[in-house]
Amino acid sequence: MTRSLFTLCLLTATTFAAPAFAAGDKEAGRSKIYTCAGCHGVPGYKNAYPNYHVPRIAGQNYDYLVAALTEYKKGERDHPTMRAQGESLSEQDIQDIAAYLASLTK
Amino acid sequence: MNRTLTFAALGFALALSAPAFAGGNVEAGQKAAAPCAACHGVDGNPAADAPQYPRLAGQYRDYLEQALKEYRDGKRKNPIMAGFTQVKNADGEFTMTDQAIADLALYFASLPGKLGDVHDNVQGN
Repeated sequence: MTRSLFTLCLLTATTFAAPAFAAGDKEAGRSKIYTCAGCHGVPGYKNAYPNYHVPRIAGQNYDYLVAALTEYKKGERDHPTMRAQGESLSEQDIQDIAAYLASLTK
Repeated sequence: MNRTLTFAALGFALALSAPAFAGGNVEAGQKAAAPCAACHGVDGNPAADAPQYPRLAGQYRDYLEQALKEYRDGKRKNPIMAGFTQVKNADGEFTMTDQAIADLALYFASLPGKLGDVHDNVQGN
């Protein structure tokens, strides 16, 4: 019995092994991306000075999104608008947003 | 008649030539992209166990170009990407030229992928 429980725990732990970042709540993230859509939700929307399309982020990989938003939050990645956004987000917000965006694969 | 044929031939030639706009060349980009595959996948979509690397397939061409230039010019910092983009030749020039960046960006943008804009997925839509 003890052994079965141990095995079960081990299996569960393995199955839900955390990726590099803790998992976010994609349902919570759904209501947190309203601001993102102002730029990332407009197909063909362009950044000004320099002029280029803001990236497609729906369907992007979870860990990459968490890393990118965290870099903006900490001021390690340089984009004024995204830094301002990152500063307003908690770690939980970032994980939730990334979880939701990553779930939107085409 | 001759003139019509010439125009027709010209039309075919244009239609069949490799897409090369905004200074980018898909085939050159594909050749140059070999080292990228180790992390970003052979088709611009990283393996399922490598979610720390971004999907490149189907990303906007000019965003990819911007990102590569930022890595090369030191504005965006990532040790791995610095290693690939900041190589210099004997004359002290970057081996990753603007042309090489344009080719790579065009190639990855042309690949089918899972990226999209978020417009259909905002709450309330």
